Amino acid sequence: MDFLLENILNLVGFLVGLAIGIMSYIGFRNTGSPTLFRLTIAFSSISLGFFVIWTGYVVEDFVTKSGSVERSIQTVGIAIQMVGYFFIAFSHSIKSFFPKSSYFRSVIILPLFLVSSVQLEHIFRSVSFILLAYGAIETMLSYFENRNKGAISVSAGLGLLALGEFLGWYSFVFPESVLYSASMIIKIGGLILLFIPVSKVPLTKMKFDEDPK
Amino acid sequence: MAEYRTHMKIIGDILATTRDDLQDEDGASVTYLIRKANISHSRISTILKTLVTQGLLEKTDNRGSNRYKISGSGREFLQAYYTFTNFADNFGLVI
Repeated sequence: MDFLLENILNLVGFLVGLAIGIMSYIGFRNTGSPTLFRLTIAFSSISLGFFVIWTGYVVEDFVTKSGSVERSIQTVGIAIQMVGYFFIAFSHSIKSFFPKSSYFRSVIILPLFLVSSVQLEHIFRSVSFILLAYGAIETMLSYFENRNKGAISVSAGLGLLALGEFLGWYSFVFPESVLYSASMIIKIGGLILLFIPVSKVPLTKMKFDEDPK
Repeated sequence: MAEYRTHMKIIGDILATTRDDLQDEDGASVTYLIRKANISHSRISTILKTLVTQGLLEKTDNRGSNRYKISGSGREFLQAYYTFTNFADNFGLVI
C-alpha cells in the first residue's frame, strides 16, 4: 500500500511541479520578472526531486526488486525538493535565512558530513517543513491583502505539504503505524490544491520564447 | 501609506495608460504619463527610452513635443503582464 501511495505521490508531485514550473518559465520569458524566475527554479526543483524518488521506486520495482528503495536516492530527492521549497520561501523575502557571520556559514555545512543519510533525511524533512509552513503563512497573509481566492488554495496546499512533511518525519518514531501513509495522502491533497488555481490561468495567445520587438 | 510598486508594476501602469487612457490620437505626453503613472520625470525618461527601444511603445513627434502610444508588442506584453500578475497573486507574490 505504501509502495503504491509513494509511487502516486511522486508521480503527481513530478507532474504538478513540472506544470507550474513550465508556466512560471513562460511567464518569465514573456515579462522578464525575477519573481517568476524564482518560481521557475522552485517548481523545477520540486518536480526534479519527486522525479528522482519516483525513478528510484520504478528502478526498485522493475530492476533491483529488493523490496525497499535505496535510502540515498530518497535523501537526494528530498534534498532537491527542499531547494524548491527554499525558493518559494525566498520569494516571500527571507532576507536573513543564512547567518551573516562567515564563521557560522562555514560551520553550518559541517554537520552534513558527520551524519548518515537517514539523519540527513530527518534534517531535510524538518527544514522543508519550516520552509513550507513559512510559505503557507505568507501566502495566507497575502490573501488578506489582495483577496485573491487562488491564494487560499495555494496556502492550503503548502500547509498540507508541510503537515505531510511533518508526519513523514514523525513516522520514523512509529515506523509501523499509518502515519507514513497518512502523510503521503495529505501531500497528494496538497499538490492538487496547489495546482487548482494555477490550472485556471488562461494561456491563450501567450507567446513562448519570443522577445518583444 | 503609499503602496510600494515594483519596476514591473510601474511599466505595467505606463503601458496601461498609453493603451486605455490616451489624451488624443497622437498619444500621451510625458507630463500626462508622469501624472497618470505617478512617477518622477527622471525615472520615467529612462523607462520610456527603454520601452521605445524594446518596441513596446511608439514615439511620435507632435509639434515639437514627444508623444507615446502603445505598440502591438506592447499590447501583447501588457496582456502577458496581467495574466502572470494573476498567476503570481495565487502564490501571494508580486511580479
